[in-house]
Amino acid sequence: MTRTFTVAEMSLRELTRRRGVLLMLLILPLAFYLARRGDHLGQSIRFVCLGLCWALSTAALFTGSAARALEPRLRLSGYRTHELFLGRLVALWTLGVALSLPYFLLIRLDQQDVRYGAIAVIMLLGVVVSPLLGLAVSALLPRDLEGMLVLLTVVGLQMIMDPAGTASRALPFWFTREIGTYAIDHTPAPYLTRGLIHALVTTTLLMLVVAVAFTIRLRQRPHLRFVS
Amino acid sequence: MRPEIWLAALSDELRRHGVGPDLAGHVVAEAAAHLRDSGEQPLRAFGAPAAYAAAVADSVGGPVAAARPAGPVRLRAVDIVKRYGRRPVLAGVSLTVRAGQVAAVVGANGSGKSTFLRICAGLAGADGGRVEVHGTIGYCPQAGGTADFLRADEHFALIGAGRGIRRGEALRAGAHAAAALDWRPGPQQSRHLSGGTRQKLNLVLAALGDPDVLLLDEPYQGFDRGTYLDFWHEVWRWRDEGRAVVVVTHLLNQLDRVDVVLDLSASTAGAAA
Repeated sequence: MTRTFTVAEMSLRELTRRRGVLLMLLILPLAFYLARRGDHLGQSIRFVCLGLCWALSTAALFTGSAARALEPRLRLSGYRTHELFLGRLVALWTLGVALSLPYFLLIRLDQQDVRYGAIAVIMLLGVVVSPLLGLAVSALLPRDLEGMLVLLTVVGLQMIMDPAGTASRALPFWFTREIGTYAIDHTPAPYLTRGLIHALVTTTLLMLVVAVAFTIRLRQRPHLRFVS
Repeated sequence: MRPEIWLAALSDELRRHGVGPDLAGHVVAEAAAHLRDSGEQPLRAFGAPAAYAAAVADSVGGPVAAARPAGPVRLRAVDIVKRYGRRPVLAGVSLTVRAGQVAAVVGANGSGKSTFLRICAGLAGADGGRVEVHGTIGYCPQAGGTADFLRADEHFALIGAGRGIRRGEALRAGAHAAAALDWRPGPQQSRHLSGGTRQKLNLVLAALGDPDVLLLDEPYQGFDRGTYLDFWHEVWRWRDEGRAVVVVTHLLNQLDRVDVVLDLSASTAGAAA
């Protein structure tokens, strides 16, 4: 556990020293929010949640890519694979909570007649899922640019696809639209339930992808044998 | 003194001190790169050419190894094969290093020295052969291997935690090892360190926690004269402490000062024990 938290602490230190990136992470969801605030308040909530998800998954992508060169050395130093990716996730989840809080307060003050609890749930689930998506992409695609294009595609599709369609459920942030509808349009509870199930399944699948990808990349090579 | 003149004088002095042309060329190239990167005056960075050449000639291998009983095997690489596509890089390379020995892996550019070391560390796969490590490994890469936005003490804490060392102890050990390389870690993030200082950090990290086997891939890149000497003194100290040290190097003209030499330049196959 100490090792996991050490990785988390160092990852957080690295993240907080990238001030320019942090500023952009903080501003980007605001742009999403303001883009539709004038004509459709509900849509602005959906967009800010997606903006947070995108910002966090991007941060995770760059964190994962930056750590690639160091992680084999950390494995040699005695870290287990799961300690490395869990440590990064803990750091990113912490950052996610810190980034989401101001936006929740903004919605709380700026919007009326919405289910605030459900909005908090969307944000929390976004904080959980987004870093997993970013780390999974970074684990599968070694270059930042390719990863960025994938994340752009995911968020772009999430915005333009009809959330009621079956295909859109394959997207990782579909739950934000579903629970968002529950929170904004006061639809019945099944919207919330479907969103929660989707987030749970997405989290499980992405965690599996991250664990398998990290395990393969940082595996002990078969030619090497440590003799005690 | 202009750098070109100083470098020419250094080249002459190295030859005068009996340093072979390969080594001399490498030393001059390293010095030129350092001067270019740092913008320092050569006399200020390295001192007089004659003195620097004498130091290089004197230090390249360190003290002659006294005859000692061989310790237990720490690293055994047997028949290592590696190909990049159809191009064979290593064909049946073997190396055995015991506790209290220093092995030098030498060879021309592209002969597979770094690849061999990465295979020994398990950082690269092999197409054939096996590696046995008796104990723990410390690995120092030629470049990279550090986190740009972390300070040196944070690196010590991070690597130390992996090795099961308490933070305070890791910080003390890191600072102590850094002092042996004439470096006092400050609050700078590693991205702000010079190339040589970053390599000092790399070296300290490799040795943190006293691993049984040290794999060092040309760790002296960017070192100034004093640090270069300090580095070899550290190597001898590690050897005397009973550790097995493998150094990938060009700088080797006195082979009697290391215990094992693996030369990969002649062919893709080699063996040393």
